Amino acid sequence: MSVIWDDDDQLLAALREAVHEAERVPPAFVEAGKAAFTWRSIDAELAELTFDSSGACSPRAPTRAEPAPLRNLTWASSDLTLEVEVDGDALLGQVVPPSPGEIDVYVAAACVATRPVDEIGVFVIRPVPAAAFRLHYRSGTASILTTWIRLP
Amino acid sequence: MRDDPTVVALVNRAGAGDQDAWNDLVDRYAPLVWSVCRRFRLGAADADDVGQSVWLRLVEHLPRLRDPAALPGWLATTTRRECLRVVRAQQRKERIEQPLDTYMTPGEQDALVEHEVLAAERNMLLRTAFGQLPEHCRRLLALLMQDPPLSYAEISARLDTSIGSIGPTRARCLQRLRDCPAFAVLADADSRGG
Repeated sequence: MSVIWDDDDQLLAALREAVHEAERVPPAFVEAGKAAFTWRSIDAELAELTFDSSGACSPRAPTRAEPAPLRNLTWASSDLTLEVEVDGDALLGQVVPPSPGEIDVYVAAACVATRPVDEIGVFVIRPVPAAAFRLHYRSGTASILTTWIRLP
Repeated sequence: MRDDPTVVALVNRAGAGDQDAWNDLVDRYAPLVWSVCRRFRLGAADADDVGQSVWLRLVEHLPRLRDPAALPGWLATTTRRECLRVVRAQQRKERIEQPLDTYMTPGEQDALVEHEVLAAERNMLLRTAFGQLPEHCRRLLALLMQDPPLSYAEISARLDTSIGSIGPTRARCLQRLRDCPAFAVLADADSRGG
């Protein structure tokens, strides 16, 4: 760090930069942070996105003549994975190992949909959320919350 | 801050479920999280996603945060980790789409990022110290920091004080800033970081 703190002018300049940096934070970013407190009441383990077909294995952009490739996503917690495929206007999901339960879809701090997970661990969410969302899988023994994802 | 009782109280209250205390913490530290995201050159959507992950982790982490004074460092580290996750995913993608492009190695990227994150933490400590000043100092310094700059005549009119007192008060207030507990942390960090 090159600032000489003993110098009044340099100290004031550094303070100005620090204060202005805070003023440039979008209000929506701050509000989203405040809304995150809602998650306090949810007792769930966070599942990380461990695979995303759009980042790891799309060798070329699709041309207009061919259909867009399917998007595949995998979130993993210590005991479970959630595999999700984007298929047109729906998300097709699979809980591994298979276990029935329910899936909540969250946009910002609001639960916008709840869908059943059947005996073989399959669930369908339609339509695909238009904003950033996350999934909360609940069963008798598990409670898993994915990180946020935004689909085009 | 090692000696900032406000942060300790806010963390304890938020951990006990107080939304107002949580809001204060977010107001105070969102600029740190945001500026780390910006220094990783993240776009708004990616920064939003990182922010959500960081705040969620803090919500989960609060009850276990044994030393509330360690919060800023914890936030910076967590944000940096989340940003790296996003950046590395982008790099993988770019490598596939633009195989001939040159890009920084992860090591070079990390060195740049480390420097930028230190700057973000330094700015946060400066803001914290500024917040610990008496109100008359904050008002004067805020006027002195305006862009475009105000003349001493304008400042004296706004504060209803003499022009001659502005210079000495400015010097006294900046000295008080150096005497703030948060500033001691800043000076420590600088002497370690070089």
